[in-house]
Amino acid sequence: MRHLADIPRWCDDVTESASPARFARRSLLKAAVLGHPGESDFPAVTAAGYGTGTLETPLVYTVTGRILDVSPHILVLLTERGEQRFPLAASAEAWRGGSISPAALRRGDHAIVRRRFPGGPVVDRIWAGVGRVTGTIIEREGPAGLLVDEGPAKGRRIVMIPPEAAGRIQVRFPRLEPGYLIDVIGLKHDGFLRALIPATSQPPYRAGHPPAAPMVSGHVPDPVSGTAVWHEPGEEPENLLGLAYPALDPETSCEHGRAIASSCSPEAHAVDPHATGPGCVRLPYLSVGSLLRLRNDCTERTRLLPVTSCGATARLFCDRCVTCGTSRKGRIADLTMAAFVELGGALEVGCFNATMMIGG
Amino acid sequence: MLTALREVQIPLLAIMLLGGCAAKAWRALSSRSVTAGMGPTGLFPVHLRRPITIMMFLAELSLGLGLIGTAGRIPDAASRLPATIVRTATALFFLIAVGALNELRQRRPDSGCGCFGELSDTPIGLRTIARSGLLCASAVATIGLPALRMPSSPRQAELWLAGLAFELALIAFLSPELGEVLVRLGYSEPCELRRLPVGRTMSALHASSQWRKYARQVSTAEPADVWREGCWRFAVYPGIVRGRRVDIVFAVYLQARRPAIRVAVLDADTDEVLGMAEPRESAVF
Repeated sequence: MRHLADIPRWCDDVTESASPARFARRSLLKAAVLGHPGESDFPAVTAAGYGTGTLETPLVYTVTGRILDVSPHILVLLTERGEQRFPLAASAEAWRGGSISPAALRRGDHAIVRRRFPGGPVVDRIWAGVGRVTGTIIEREGPAGLLVDEGPAKGRRIVMIPPEAAGRIQVRFPRLEPGYLIDVIGLKHDGFLRALIPATSQPPYRAGHPPAAPMVSGHVPDPVSGTAVWHEPGEEPENLLGLAYPALDPETSCEHGRAIASSCSPEAHAVDPHATGPGCVRLPYLSVGSLLRLRNDCTERTRLLPVTSCGATARLFCDRCVTCGTSRKGRIADLTMAAFVELGGALEVGCFNATMMIGG
Repeated sequence: MLTALREVQIPLLAIMLLGGCAAKAWRALSSRSVTAGMGPTGLFPVHLRRPITIMMFLAELSLGLGLIGTAGRIPDAASRLPATIVRTATALFFLIAVGALNELRQRRPDSGCGCFGELSDTPIGLRTIARSGLLCASAVATIGLPALRMPSSPRQAELWLAGLAFELALIAFLSPELGEVLVRLGYSEPCELRRLPVGRTMSALHASSQWRKYARQVSTAEPADVWREGCWRFAVYPGIVRGRRVDIVFAVYLQARRPAIRVAVLDADTDEVLGMAEPRESAVF
């Protein structure tokens, strides 16, 4: 029997693959072989899309860039299209570690911006310097410093908890100890995240021992409802419209990282999410390039998104989102920042209740 | 009739308490953590959660055993005291549970009640609170009840059974755990959740008539791409058809024996579909 390791080019690692076009063609090839060629539900994802973060249906609400100038009425951003000017709505809100007036934003900050209307010039939400760390605490240094493992696909991050946020975070994350999970939102700095907001409540179990997911009767329901969260771009393009999926096919994708991770990470508390079973929600195995239709149940916005990376760390969290009612399941999708904002999510809230239709 | 209904409550309450106890112990053993299933202990500071979890476990165990131990023949009225104490304590236990679950629902709407270990991860709803209320009322109904005895007539036995069936149905209706139990009893992993090695898929493909039909047009021994979506695994082979560079795409349904296999041939440069093989059988997902 041939084994996966014999044919390494099957590995679904978008960041390392020499040909992202391979993933981009998958939806088209699937549609051809299963008899849906030309169906409008299966728009081709262009190869360029994986590099630039655009599907054939591009970002219509979201713009990312560096702040060049800001006044009470105009925001000037340096985006991939060059210098762009955006009028600010009278009700525009900005976030930089907390709610501030848009005029108080700093030049040079990296910002992600949401337009008021699709494709329109007017902007009503701005997030500057926002970051997030989600994973297992593997080291604690003093009362404020944490080293967090975000899983084999993402690596490690340093989290610093300032005194003014310590109380707020410790109420929701009482065990800031190695082996326990953390999920915090804050401001990105060089080499670390300044944690300011707890993104969820800490699960009571150790990261390596999540509870077994409820079993499913018959096939996995499609659509499936649960929680959608977001992650920082990392190696991905910052305006990538896609999601990290918690259940990539272990035969051809994420679990490749296990051997590498285990050989490079001798820490006792580093947890490989692939080794903890199916996690908190049972989801069908998919691959990078699979298309999913995701709806934000709170704003009722829907987008077709490709799976662009492995979101196995989401398997460890059995939390529910309570943005608009309690979500029916745990984490089903870990969206890129651009996709999260595009669907109407508020980055500082950390999640929204979502419904995911598998297969577009 | 009323006495028969009251008598049914004692074994029922004991089963519920001991069942909850066993499910919690199972969860603690399987996750190697006493506090793994948080439930109402989530209302307390971290350092108190472990002792409170143990206390809840011991309370359920002692009340369950106490209900059974004090249900039998009671020689005189003075000996009724232990039974009255256990039954009153049981009523108090479920009354506190109603308050705690309601509080937990307000403060941690994403938490399950943890009443029956990992079966109780569904967020607390009114049904779960109503179940505790029902059990509290059941415990109150048992206070002052004389010793349990076997039914003296077939009619009384029928009343017992009817009362038991009605209450079990009511508890089942109020228990979100029931669906999970039924699924576990008849569970077989659906194909979209089943791990299946790539090698087995390839063996099935290479043994198929579809492969034999296209094998001569395939130009490499190994596929250019392999991926999976739900119950289907796809393999793409580069090939040459009438001098044109093509991609031959095989879709193999992930089942152990005689999987359905579909084939499509696409122009490698234009992605135009040049041909599709008829599916041998239809399959879902």
